[in-house]
Amino acid sequence: METENQPPATAELVPLTVKQVIEDSNTDTRIVVLKSDDATDTLPIWVGAAEGNAIRLAMERVVTPRPMSHDLIRSFADHLGVKIERVVIVDVKSSTYYATVSFSSKGVQRDIDARPSDAIALAIRAGCRIFATRDVLKRRTAVHLDAWLSKLDANNIEPQQA
Amino acid sequence: MRVKGLIFDPYNNAYIVVLRDEENSDMLPIWVGKSEASAIGLAIENVTAPRPMTHDLMKSFLETFDAKVISVVITDLNENTYFAKIHLMYEDSEYTVDSRPSDAIALALRTDAPIFANENVIKKQSSEELEQWLENLKPEDFGKLDT
Repeated sequence: METENQPPATAELVPLTVKQVIEDSNTDTRIVVLKSDDATDTLPIWVGAAEGNAIRLAMERVVTPRPMSHDLIRSFADHLGVKIERVVIVDVKSSTYYATVSFSSKGVQRDIDARPSDAIALAIRAGCRIFATRDVLKRRTAVHLDAWLSKLDANNIEPQQA
Repeated sequence: MRVKGLIFDPYNNAYIVVLRDEENSDMLPIWVGKSEASAIGLAIENVTAPRPMTHDLMKSFLETFDAKVISVVITDLNENTYFAKIHLMYEDSEYTVDSRPSDAIALALRTDAPIFANENVIKKQSSEELEQWLENLKPEDFGKLDT
């Protein structure tokens, strides 16, 4: 299904890199911390434990004995001669982030709606860039940032460096 | 084969996907992790998540490029390495893609593709035998997880 959440053609896209996946052992969630290349913007995204682990496996370049789900998507793309071009975090509504994965085949680009966790797990495996629209970075919810900052102060987190 | 259900295995904190062939009562239990079981469970119950789950994205990708899942085949189940093949049709060519059985089954349920198992991986057990087998299981009888 192609998404209706595509960024406007004029949207300013900010390139981001996944800096770390923070484990919150109390709530069994993970916080994926994305930073802009100039380090002026930080975007923390809360994901489930399984989703966070999929991202961490990709960051640490762990080769599992059997292909994981995102390896399979990449394998499909390779078999079909489709290139994974980029992922964009395009929107945030009620604290839920929306992403698109851009694929290209024979010069035609197709954008597919995805959760940021899947998009990021795929981007790292495919070696493609991750972007957020300037608008998303502006509208990071204050609630999330406060929660994030308080977690950084807490002693119960285990930061995992990239 | 059809997915007859998901059974929780408390000893391993894992799930067993039970595949059965109704015609000749062939039964195949496949151990999967929690998130893999959840991907299969949502498809069995026809639950549409508010946001696309990983296998929904997989399906979207294949639909966007007009690739069709012809079938999935469980090809081998060793102690901790499970194998499956996903057969795709794309632009009049067939492609065979290596996968874990859990991903293959989660995708097959979403794309209405048939699920097959190689004869050599099927344990021939009737449903009664399955129940008895499950009741008599000891923790050490459970295989390693497909993680």
